[in-house]
This record gives sequence, structure tokens and C-alpha cells, in this order.
Amino acid sequence: MLHPFLRIAGAAALAAAELVFGAACARATDRVLTMSGSQVGREGEVIARQLERFRQAHPGLRVELRATPDAADQRHQLYVQWLNARTSEPDVLQLDVVWTPEFAAAGWIAPLDRYDPPVADLFPATTAANRWRGALFALPWFADVGMLYWRTDLMAAPPADLDALVRIVKDVQQARGVDADGGVPFGFVWQGARYEGLVTVFLEHLGAFGGAILDDGGRVVVDSEAAVRALTFMRDSIYTDGVVPQSALTWQEEQTRFAFQNGQAAFMRNWPYAYALVEDDTTSKVAGRVGVAPVPGQPGGRPTAALGGSTLAINAYSDQPDEAYALIAFLLQPDQMIERAAIAGQFPPRVSLYDTPELAAALRVPTDEARRIIEAAVPRPVSPVYSQLSELLQVSLHRALTRQQEPRAALDDAATAMRALLARVQLEAP
Amino acid sequence: MSGGALDPATRLAARERRAAWLMASPALAVIGLVALFPIGWTLWESFHLHDLRMPWRGRPLIGLANYVEIAATPRFWSTLGHTAFFVAASVTLELAAGLLLAMVLDRMTRARGLLRMAVLLPWAIPTVVVALVWRFLFESPGGLVPGLVWGDDLAQAAFFADPVLAWIPIVLADAWKTTPFVALLLLAGLQTIDRSLYEAAEVDGASAWRQFVDITLPLLRPALLVAALFRGLDAFRVFDLVYVMTGGGPGTATEPIALYTFSTLLQNLQFGLGSALAVVVFALAFVCALVVIRAFGARAFLERSA
Repeated sequence: MLHPFLRIAGAAALAAAELVFGAACARATDRVLTMSGSQVGREGEVIARQLERFRQAHPGLRVELRATPDAADQRHQLYVQWLNARTSEPDVLQLDVVWTPEFAAAGWIAPLDRYDPPVADLFPATTAANRWRGALFALPWFADVGMLYWRTDLMAAPPADLDALVRIVKDVQQARGVDADGGVPFGFVWQGARYEGLVTVFLEHLGAFGGAILDDGGRVVVDSEAAVRALTFMRDSIYTDGVVPQSALTWQEEQTRFAFQNGQAAFMRNWPYAYALVEDDTTSKVAGRVGVAPVPGQPGGRPTAALGGSTLAINAYSDQPDEAYALIAFLLQPDQMIERAAIAGQFPPRVSLYDTPELAAALRVPTDEARRIIEAAVPRPVSPVYSQLSELLQVSLHRALTRQQEPRAALDDAATAMRALLARVQLEAP
Repeated sequence: MSGGALDPATRLAARERRAAWLMASPALAVIGLVALFPIGWTLWESFHLHDLRMPWRGRPLIGLANYVEIAATPRFWSTLGHTAFFVAASVTLELAAGLLLAMVLDRMTRARGLLRMAVLLPWAIPTVVVALVWRFLFESPGGLVPGLVWGDDLAQAAFFADPVLAWIPIVLADAWKTTPFVALLLLAGLQTIDRSLYEAAEVDGASAWRQFVDITLPLLRPALLVAALFRGLDAFRVFDLVYVMTGGGPGTATEPIALYTFSTLLQNLQFGLGSALAVVVFALAFVCALVVIRAFGARAFLERSA
């Protein structure tokens, strides 16, 4: 004979069990696809909306977002830990474009060619960055490109080359002075702190002088004459010409944006995200007086934009790669890309969109300028050890720019260390 | 006595020994788990090539190759130099400022408790917060100090973009934070000095400076050594301050050994090489402590008991 309380408790336990198992069964009929990526600010809003539409179009398939850290380094570290442990989730990974070769070489993401992705309509640079040993391993979701922001009230047209840029800054500083109020004390601002951003700024100067970090065969050529000239130009623009402030050597994107939107700089090198912010008249003193152009080249080189941005890839350990690809294909459709451009201001990687009135209406940056800049885009070295290569380069660049080493010696050191690293990796590759 | 049978006293002692081991075993297990096991594992890891970002290279045993690579890396030797410089500069500054502070506190007759608390305040603030505050002070543009030094000229030099100037905020921040700790140690030392010695010196007509040099300093030696040892070992492991303020830059001009180890191990995910670095840091700290204690420690104790 059970105590009445125990009987009630037993019944409750049974009911609870029913509830749990019942829910589990209902859930099992709905397949769950997981996706990880950035949900910062407006990006979170766009992705939530688009995933809801995807669910409506694919009954029986639910997509769950896995929260990941916003800082790229931390997200990378988390992915590496997950994939080393061969977890099958998340099925779809949002990668920074420079991670693709690393993840592909490690066998952590699946090749995508068998799905016949729409590569013909994607800017060539954006797919080149996602190939490893000839196979495509990720698809560009949006393209970040380094752009030259210029002040339409200080000059009639953007400079034709880097020398002209220096001249314009000097003229403007002569005319306006270098006071904090009303003057342009900072001239040209870029991201000079010792971090990944410095490599992208250097890549643009390097392209302007006709140099490269790796050649087409993957050999290190960062100690070429063109590279020495590019780095010397960067150093001299700080100490000799005085057109770039020395404090820029401690700045990342946001500090350059603050200097520019306070009206203290004539030029800024930055990513597209800054456009909506410097054109916002509630916070920016230069709203309505901003143009964008490719970072100019020098004679013998060409205008170059460092390519950044995010790509989408399929976890190689995923149980449902076909569904994962369906999600990627959905997110790459023109409608989704235009919505992203409108809300988050990110450039779509589809070439054909740049002729459409829809994109022109959605994107705040004029679409023909945006296209010109993306066409100047150059990927950073496509290598599975890119992050180590980049770190070696960051240290050497920063040493040269803070005058601890001559540009030639710094680049020689970097090239030697990079060659040693690549030799070690190749030697032991399968 | 026949073999096997023990007399009751021996048996009792054996039982007590067993009980002692039994009672100590939880503590020993904890020490083994949190101290010995990780050290052993790190040592084991340091003999392997283990690069999380290059899984295709596997995790082969490579003997001392990681240590050879460390010895051949100029960046490693320069981080050692930076660490030594930081230890020397910050500990010297802290001992000098701490001694001054301790003597002032020692002379105070009123509100001593309150003042002592106020002086200790910087020491109670987390290092990362200290580092952030000092970074704001020295940041360009907009920092208080660059404004004072270079005025309104916004395009002027920047502390954190100069390989020499960048050390100033780092050393000052460390001194600001840990001088109170040194002062407190030295204050305790000062209060053990017999007042009658000063009275006698006064009678003999010794100047304040002579009293300081001939009485205070020699008798304070044990306390000074303890403070220097504590601070030196602490400064040797400096990480958070530099990580927040300069990230080791410009270039790697302010990178201490702990930060280099961190970036190798946790940012580049080179577990083998990073573990070898960690072992080197451990060995260096161990040897330094041993040398200091051997050289000064025993004498310090002798003097104290004399």
C-alpha cells in the first residue's frame, strides 16, 4: 500500500517522463541543421529573418544558430577545438576568408564542387581565396574590401596615385592647418597597430607598387624591390612626409573611423562597414562629404583592395551535408544578399547584382564604385598556415614602421622566417 | 625475537605512520593532480611536434627539437632580455619608492591605520584594470600624458608606437600597483628596528643620512631581500600588464617571455613548442629563486636571528 503522496509523486514523474520523451519524438521528426557565425548587431537581425524564410521553404528542417564569440581569433580557436574533436555540429560554418585553406588542408571542411555552385557569377578573387589544391571549399557570403574614403569638400577628385595622395594631404594641411578643430592634423589614416589589419593595409600598398606576398607558385616574394619600396613609402609617409600620424601605429579600424568622422583626416583606409557610420549626420561631422574609391596605385603597380569577408563552408564531419549545402545555396540567393546589403551594408559577391536597381537601392555605397573596388580586390596569401605567415609579417612590418629596422632588413627577416615555415609544412604534408 | 612478530611499540609506530600517510593522502593527491601532473604533462608535450592547426603533421615524438628551435629563435632571446629589463627596472623603482613610503608611514603618528589602507588601495585593484587605466592615460591622441608632453600637436609622437617610450607606461603602471605591497613589507621591517639605536646615534651626533645608511639599511636588509625576491619572481612572470597595454609591441619591443609563450601556445596553437617554452620559463624561475635563496636567504635568516 503506497502512501498517497508517493502515488501522486509517481504519477507526476510518469507524466513528466511522457512530456520529455514526447517532446523528443516530436523533435526527432524535425531534422535540425546547425549553423555558427557572427550575429553582431544588425547581422543577427538579418540572419534570424532569413533562417525563418528557409524553414518555411523546407518543411521538416529546422536551423539552429550556434552562438560563437564575436572576436575572430576566439571564434577561430573555438572552431579548431571543435573540429579537432570531430564534432558533427555545426553543419554549416561561417569562416573568415583567410581560414578556408587551413580548414581545407586539415580535412575539416567538405569540397563543394559536386554541388555545382554558381561560381561563374562570383567575383573571381572571392572564389580564388576559397580554393585549395584546385577544389572549392567554401563560398563567399559577403565581400569585405579595403577602400579609400576621401573628403569631397577638400578635393575635387580622389588621387590618381599615392604620390598625388601625399601632395593633396600637404596642400590641404597648408590650407586648413593642423589644429584639432577645423584643421586636418591626421591627413591620411590607416590601421597600423600590430595585428591582421596592418597586413591588409600593407597588401594594398604592396599592390600599388606592383609587389606581392606570395607569387602564383606559392613562393615567398615579400622581400622584392617593389615590397621594399612599398614599405619605405609607408614609413616615410609617417616620418618624412608627415601625412600619416605616428599614433596610427597603435590604431585599429575604429580609431581611424573616429579620426575621420571628426573631420581630422582627409583620407581613411577602411572596410565598407564604416560607410554608413561616417555618413550618419547624428554622429559624423563629415556626413554628406565622403566619397569612396579604390586605394590608388603607383606607376608600375595597380590599385589594390585587400579582400576580406566571410565565407560559408560545410563541416566535413556533418551527417547531413546535402541539407547543409541547401542552406548555403539559399543564403547565397540574390534576395538574401540584397537584404544583407540593405541592413548590414555588406557587399554581395555576385557580379550580376551590381547591374540591378535592387542592389543600387539597397546599398548605400554607389554600386559602380563598389564594383570597381571589388574588381581591384586581391586575396591575402592562400595558405593553410596563413595565420602564422601573417604573424611573422605583422612583427616585421611593425618593426620597420616604428623604425626599429630598415624596411629591407625587416622584409628579409620576414621572408626568411616565412620560407622556413612553408618548407617545414610542405616537407611533412601528405 | 621470532621473525614476523613485532613488539607492540613498533607496531604502534607503523600503524601511526600508516594513519599519517592516509590522512595526508587527500592533500598529496590534490597536489599531485593540480601541480605535479600538469608539470609532467607539459614536459611530455614539449618533446612532441603538436600543432593543432596542422593535424596532418600528426603528433610525433621529436625529442629535444622544440628546445633546439627555441634556442635558435632570436625572438626568444629578445623576450628574455625584455623580461630581465622589466624585472630590473620595476623592482628597483618599487624598492626605492616602497622604502620612501614605508619610512613616511613609520614616522606618522596620527591616522596611520587610515593612511595605510589608502596606500594599499592600488594593490587591491585587478592588474587588467590598472593596465587599462594606464593605457588610457598614455594613449594617442586623447591621453592625458601625451597631451601634457606634446601639447595640442595631435600628429606628434605616440608612446605606444615607440620601442623605448612604450616601456615608460608599463614600468610606471607596475610600480604604481605594487609599491604599496613593498612598502608594507618594509614597514614591518622598520618596526622591528630597536628605537634605542637611533637615540644612541642621536647622542653621538650622527646625521639623519648616517643613521639611514648605518642603521636603517643594514637592519632592513632581510625585509628588503624578501621584498626583492617576491617582486622579482612576480615581475619575471609579467603578462597581463603588457598584454593589455602594448600587446608586446611596437614590433616585439616590449614582449616578455610569458607573453611570447602565451601567443605560441594559445594563439598559434603550437602545443609542443609552446609547452617547451613553458618548461623553459618554469626552469628559469626555479633556478633564479634557488640562486637568490641560496645566496641571500640563509644570511638573511642568520642576521635576523642574531
